[in-house]
Amino acid sequence: MNIVVLVKSAVDEAELKADPSGHPLLKGVSMKMSTFDMNGVEAAVKLKEQNGGTVIVLTLAGAEAKKAIKEAMAMGGTKAVHILAEAADAPDSLGTAYCLAQAVKRIGAVDLVVSSEGASDTYQGEVGAMVAEFLDLPFIAYAKKVETDGVKVKCEQGLMGTVRVLEANLPAVVSVVSEANVPRYPTLLQVMVAGKKAIEEIPLASLKGPDYPDTGTEVLDVSIQSASRKKVLFDGTPEEAARKLAGALKEEGVV
Amino acid sequence: MKIFGAEQERVLGSLYGAEAAEVYSALLRSLSLVLEEKVSPLSLALDQGNEEISKPRRVLFDQGVCKLPHATEFGGMGVPFGVYALAMELAAVADASTAMSLGIHNTVADAVSRFGSPEQKKRLLPVLLSGKKLAAFALTEPTSGSDARSMHTKAAHEGRYYVIDGSKMFITNAGEADLYLIFASMGTGHGAFLVEGTNPGLKVGKPLKEKLGMRASHTAEVRLVKCKVAEGSLLGKEGEGFEQAKQLLDSSRIVMGMICVGISRAAYVAALAYAKGRDLFGKKLSDMQLTREKVANASIETNASRLLCMHAARLKEIGKPYSSEAAQGKVLATESAARTCDAAIQLLGGYGYTSDDVHRHWRDARLLTIGEGASEVLRLLIASHELEREQ
Amino acid sequence: MTGAVLSYSESPDLAGEVAAAGAEVAKLLGTEAVALELDEVSAGLRTVNKVVLVKGERPLETIADSAAAGILEFVKARGFGALLIAETRFGTMVAAKVAARLTVGSLGKGKRLRVDGGRLVLERDVYGGRFTATVASRMPCVAVVQAGAYKAADASLGPTETVGVTVGEPKVAITQTKQGQHGEAGIKSALKIVSAGRGFARKEDLALAQNLANALGASLGCSRPLSSDLGWMGEEAHIGLTGAYVHPQLYVAIGISGQLQHVAGIKDSKVIVAINKDAQAPIFQVADYGIVGDLYEVVPALTKALKQG
Repeated sequence: MNIVVLVKSAVDEAELKADPSGHPLLKGVSMKMSTFDMNGVEAAVKLKEQNGGTVIVLTLAGAEAKKAIKEAMAMGGTKAVHILAEAADAPDSLGTAYCLAQAVKRIGAVDLVVSSEGASDTYQGEVGAMVAEFLDLPFIAYAKKVETDGVKVKCEQGLMGTVRVLEANLPAVVSVVSEANVPRYPTLLQVMVAGKKAIEEIPLASLKGPDYPDTGTEVLDVSIQSASRKKVLFDGTPEEAARKLAGALKEEGVV
Repeated sequence: MKIFGAEQERVLGSLYGAEAAEVYSALLRSLSLVLEEKVSPLSLALDQGNEEISKPRRVLFDQGVCKLPHATEFGGMGVPFGVYALAMELAAVADASTAMSLGIHNTVADAVSRFGSPEQKKRLLPVLLSGKKLAAFALTEPTSGSDARSMHTKAAHEGRYYVIDGSKMFITNAGEADLYLIFASMGTGHGAFLVEGTNPGLKVGKPLKEKLGMRASHTAEVRLVKCKVAEGSLLGKEGEGFEQAKQLLDSSRIVMGMICVGISRAAYVAALAYAKGRDLFGKKLSDMQLTREKVANASIETNASRLLCMHAARLKEIGKPYSSEAAQGKVLATESAARTCDAAIQLLGGYGYTSDDVHRHWRDARLLTIGEGASEVLRLLIASHELEREQ
Repeated sequence: MTGAVLSYSESPDLAGEVAAAGAEVAKLLGTEAVALELDEVSAGLRTVNKVVLVKGERPLETIADSAAAGILEFVKARGFGALLIAETRFGTMVAAKVAARLTVGSLGKGKRLRVDGGRLVLERDVYGGRFTATVASRMPCVAVVQAGAYKAADASLGPTETVGVTVGEPKVAITQTKQGQHGEAGIKSALKIVSAGRGFARKEDLALAQNLANALGASLGCSRPLSSDLGWMGEEAHIGLTGAYVHPQLYVAIGISGQLQHVAGIKDSKVIVAINKDAQAPIFQVADYGIVGDLYEVVPALTKALKQG
């Protein structure tokens, strides 16, 4: 079966620093494969190993995404398609989903599109559903388990308290959660082989048809958050510290 | 801590150029993630005897670290030796004992690759490179270390066999190994013999329990008592053993030096983090000038050690003689590591003295001015190379 | 005049909150606020907004496909200015589908909605919750509202208008419900929370946290490792950037190191307490009160001190 897995090259949020005015220093920041997309790649590769076929890694990003794409390939991707978009042209969720859907259409006979619960840097979690809408395909989100017999896909869905099993006919789109699997570490040999594989590049503009959705969504500002908490520490024996804490909580009026 | 970071990328770039460095960076970055996830968390427990070294060693075998510098013909990856050396630095940052155990094993793989017959290579390289079989390198004896040539272990040719008698000491991986490379005197010259761990004539003593450092690796005496091995166990030709050992040690010294670079990094990063958080006299410990002196020295010595070892590695890659440079790199790296790790203990003060997690780096590094060529012997080697040079 | 501001949640607990958000935005726009309910009006819904019940021949709210289709049919007939949906996994799916079908902007999981120059604006967490992004979209548009950002109005319902819609068969079928009831808000509405992290060595040890929670009258939550990696607690207890955002009066983090992803979910707590044996744990940087110590000793001591009061 032919599987397309959507991979985002995300900002490494732990490494990101802010400038003196509190804005993120994005230029030259470390990028990585979005954390939950690793689960998506693992799910896709597992299905390929079970059912045969191909896994195509699809990314919409700037040139810095090569690293994330190669990591996905090392995990077991068959080939990679990179929609090249410069930072200035980076579309919103809807525009991204539209372009990804167009690329999937270009790829051709696709049985399953795998995405993840959300990007680790922006975590909006809507692209998977939107891609399904643009492709007019069934969509099952938040899958903890994904099974397929080549005709239907069956997923165990977790909705933070509710767990249910859903089915749909292929072709379909699913998004997986991090509980779905533990992403494999490729061996050094797999990393080296993947590094040599060609990546097909598609310019973003070539995917924008006359029906490209221009929603006028704009990011007006991004600023660092500051925590101004009391940071009071109580010391002494556990009993002494606990007593002082209980007293403070009473004064706060929260007990 | 990020084991492969921007600094490592820069080193790769300056040594190999941007294009090749991108390929090697991908490899080392991937290895680094595995080390951070699966090896580093075990490191303290390994030192304290609460974890078995086979576990992290298996992780590195499965990753394919041993395959890096070997030719593809028998399952290697054909990557430059220097990249393998850098990989060993990273492994040592995660856990020194594991890196050393692997390094010693790789020396035997190196021996088979360089001196083995086609049959030996076919039979042994795949299982050694995959780590399916573990190897140990046995040159040192209870009464000969630096003066290896004077070893007492003997091998006598008896019909279609050799019989080996003697004793080897301080052997890493002893008791765990499936295969031992035993060096023995043969009257005229020496021979190197590949002996199975199951051979009834090979007896492993009790593991040495009072080691200062590298505590997770299994070290013991190995006795050869009428140890009978087939003719096919000899590596190369009779009499070549000592020369083989010298060549093998030239390479392994680079690796041991890089292991010390890794140990230095682990100690230095932890000490620096502590200094940034420690309050005294209204400032942070990292604000103090004498702290900054230690930081600068650690930086200078770690970088110099790495570059000197990598210089030897690059000479090896381009087929030039590198014995002296390898010795120089090891001397500098091992002696610097002792200084850096000692400074780290000093910075952590009382906590440095009372935490295994701090002083184990110094304890681990302390072996390596002794093993694989004591600093004294290496200085003599370096000096003799200098004196031989045409002026 | 802009179309109405619609609010929707499949969760009865969150429907009131998102309706309050709708009322506020509608006021800024000078337009009508409508609380959309599907299948049936939830008992206990509190809002000042007009209530519209959308009904189809079969249930709309069990599958995101159908819920979105039902809302889309309504919107086709009546138009809208903004659609606000309370943040749940289900709500996120509905928001995405509606936005894609209508090709309008979707502003995800945020708070502090306002109107600026004909655009809807909100603030949301990005980069692991370390930064706030202010995003705007032309209207009509969709926005997902995080739990706790608004408080449900203290009012009972006005008259309900019922609108019938016809939607197609959903492309996805539910074959089994394994656990839980659809539409739970869970820990998101809790006023006091005791939360457990990796500092606990065994699942059985969570009893210590439960005892403290009982003494405080608090709900028990956790950081992600305990619900996903270890499976010691259910997903609904997971608090963090990719789990529940909480806004209690009191949040007690026990054996939680304070990773970015977890901290993002607790920032709106009034008082944060941290108990951890590692003095360097990042949680202490975002806590009001903390004890550096062994939770196995501190937590029972705290439970006792609170009981003795």
